[in-house]
Amino acid sequence: MKNRDIRWLLVLVANGLFIWLNALANHHLAPFAVHLYLGGALVTYSALRLDFRHGLIAVALTGLAFDALEPVPFGTHIVLLGIIHATLHSGRRQFPRDEPIFATVVALIANLFLFLALSFLLVGANPRPGEAWLRLFVDLLASQIVVAVVMPWFMALNGRLLARANLHPETGRRVEL
Amino acid sequence: MSTQRFDQARPFATLAIVVLAWVFVPYVIKAFTRATFFEFQAPFAAAQSYVQDLQEYWGQRSRSKEELLEAGRSLAHLNSAYEFSLQEKEHLRVELLRLENLLKLPPLPTHRFEPARVARRDFSGWWQRLVIRKGRNYGITVGAPVVFVGGVVGRVVEVYAYTAVVDLVSSPTFRVAAAAEGDSRPISYQGGINDSFKAPRGTIEFVPADIFANQGQPRRLVTSGLGGVFPPGLTLGDIVQLEPSTDGLFKSGEVRLDPRLSALTEVTVLVPINPEAF
Repeated sequence: MKNRDIRWLLVLVANGLFIWLNALANHHLAPFAVHLYLGGALVTYSALRLDFRHGLIAVALTGLAFDALEPVPFGTHIVLLGIIHATLHSGRRQFPRDEPIFATVVALIANLFLFLALSFLLVGANPRPGEAWLRLFVDLLASQIVVAVVMPWFMALNGRLLARANLHPETGRRVEL
Repeated sequence: MSTQRFDQARPFATLAIVVLAWVFVPYVIKAFTRATFFEFQAPFAAAQSYVQDLQEYWGQRSRSKEELLEAGRSLAHLNSAYEFSLQEKEHLRVELLRLENLLKLPPLPTHRFEPARVARRDFSGWWQRLVIRKGRNYGITVGAPVVFVGGVVGRVVEVYAYTAVVDLVSSPTFRVAAAAEGDSRPISYQGGINDSFKAPRGTIEFVPADIFANQGQPRRLVTSGLGGVFPPGLTLGDIVQLEPSTDGLFKSGEVRLDPRLSALTEVTVLVPINPEAF
């Protein structure tokens, strides 16, 4: 029987779980008028650990899943996550990409970029953009704190999923534990 | 050297091809893909909502007999008040029918009430949306008004097989023609001021200069019925601030929305009985 390379699917499943947990947190934070945006966490593992093709497939499908839930032009996150994925992938060999702390810093920067890009794209619809930025700043602060806290766990989750499937993240070769 | 340079640029070239290909995908396929991705994730939101309902149920089961008796007494008081309102409503309905016949007016378009549980709240600085646990399976239509005990909740913007998405009255994308209570002149309402840890607010424009309101003496803002989507007289919020607009002809200001909007668990969708009339 032919062994299928399902690395992109495993990362997509982990990202799906993360999106669901994010939505659950936002549901309960709604009475406090605080919103968490954690898009930067979804691209970090794909960009730092997977090969480009599998990473891009996982990132593109994650972007579509994310866009389906949000009132943004469908495909916005393919472009935004894709840019981050390509940038990180082309420069990742120069950095200690296996380190959880490095992954956390990358996720924070990616999240900041995504948050600001979406804010500039959407804040124009607000009747008072100046006041909206204050709210966005609080949301960004909360989101960055959560990314910093959960990122080591999320990287470990992705790693464990691939280890369970006996797959090497970058080459896709079977590895025995 | 040039091979190495191409290797570095290859991720960007691949991404550019993917993005270009995506741009040229027909709209129908994009819409279908979006609906598919949403439908795939919808059961997770609904499941989470059902689990919460179950938690509430078991929470209520642990209440003492005394508490239940007290709740029953409060309910009896409410029921008597509602009985009186029902009689009043029946009297008004008969009066309306009499006037319609007298003036030979066509009957007002009517709605049926479809209560729905809230499956997911998504309140950001960019948008304010709810996912409810009813969709095409209950005849919910795009554009249908959504209300709760405190007034307008919003408008249905997307309908799926078992769920629907509601754009909230506090969302920057929500606009409606309104009127100050007791006045028929139209005012433009838009949501969008959602400060952290505070109740949501909206903005109003084109308010006639002879209308006054402030924090101490707020004035209720209701739907005007213009546009035909929202029935007239539904509460949007309270006008708490008014100041002359730059043109000097009108006023603009702020509306305080119901703080319960951010913790809604159940809403009612007004489904038009005759959608062609809207």
